[in-house]
Amino acid sequence: MPVEPQAGGDEARLIARSQQQDHEAFGQLVDRYAGVVVNLAYRMVGNRADAEDLAQDAFLAAFKALPTFRADSKFSTWLYRIAANKCKDWLRAKHPAPVDLDDHEAVVAQVVETHTPERLLSQQQVAQQLDGAIQRLPPLYREAFVLKHVEGLSYEEMQELLGVNADTLKMRVYKGRVQLSRELSEWNDLQSSVSR
Amino acid sequence: MDDRDILIQRFLDQDLTPEERVQFLQQVDADPGLRREWLNLELVVVEAGRLPRIAPSRQFTARVLTALDPESKSILDRFVGWVTAPRTLQWNLGGAMAAAFVVILAVSGLLRLVPERIVEVPISSPSAQMVSLEQAPAPTTYVRLVLVQPGAQSVSVAGDFNGWNPNRTSMERSDGGVWTTTIRLKPGRYQYMFVIDGKQWLADPLATEDAGDGFGSQNAVLDVSTTL
Repeated sequence: MPVEPQAGGDEARLIARSQQQDHEAFGQLVDRYAGVVVNLAYRMVGNRADAEDLAQDAFLAAFKALPTFRADSKFSTWLYRIAANKCKDWLRAKHPAPVDLDDHEAVVAQVVETHTPERLLSQQQVAQQLDGAIQRLPPLYREAFVLKHVEGLSYEEMQELLGVNADTLKMRVYKGRVQLSRELSEWNDLQSSVSR
Repeated sequence: MDDRDILIQRFLDQDLTPEERVQFLQQVDADPGLRREWLNLELVVVEAGRLPRIAPSRQFTARVLTALDPESKSILDRFVGWVTAPRTLQWNLGGAMAAAFVVILAVSGLLRLVPERIVEVPISSPSAQMVSLEQAPAPTTYVRLVLVQPGAQSVSVAGDFNGWNPNRTSMERSDGGVWTTTIRLKPGRYQYMFVIDGKQWLADPLATEDAGDGFGSQNAVLDVSTTL
């Protein structure tokens, strides 16, 4: 799991001190995990300012809940879960327009008929398009896709973190991939027709 | 999802055995259509892993620690925090009886006051047409639920719309282990889960929204609007 940069006895001591309201110790935990939490939030909400606000909220919530944290679970997983829930609440409050992902057959047919991606797209262009397309995924698919393919978590870790069955998560990741693949292919088609 | 899709997804999820991976790559080599489909999806996976990461601002940790410090909060924030802070209520039987007595007194006093405030106003009878309009049934929508579960002997759905009774709404099996049912719902938000073989509860994998059930699991959420 990429969110365990320096786990061990040192971290256990920092957590114990933080549980005693030691701000300095908690500051060291924030330093360690700010990167992963801010990046998760950034991929979920799409802009840096909101991502940092959400990450801050997540750390504050974590500090408040630290007395309930038990050492038998990973601190990183516990913190990630808080951050993911903050993002989910934020997205729900925004009421994003739903994207129809049910017409899977049409999606796959379209993917099959499009050009091979390596022919036209540069890596930078793909990254930009992919970044935007991730923001257009429905929140549940976005969450699953980001955790799996951007943050590199396993389905077992995602299951523990989200409390959702691994098969369900696989289905969400699958739907996310298909939607993103379709968007990249559509963009590729558009680019190739312009350049002709 | 057909066999071909399942194969690609299992490859991307690294669920295939080494032998199956070799077979898959041989199939990819021989089938241009499969190759295109796989490459498009593989591109998404590879590029997602290479997306640039952002660095938190230099003041991030300081901001978090400042927000932790109650002295830095405004008077209003401190008041809100004081009002909303969780507290442990300590009680004894004498105090509880006194509190109950006060509540009974207050409620009975209110009941004495309320009738005096009711003013009867003559209302003209509405026309029959208006009554029929007001009593028109709420629009209903037919919703089709689908679950792929080839190994199941029976599948039903339980949710807010049927009192969470898994015996009320069973699903029909069709080719490929696809289970479906169509239910009639009024506009609203409904939570539901599938029940496989009468014992395994599963949230709808295709749901675009979920909600905690208060017991640590997630229910699927169905939002039926009048515009459906």
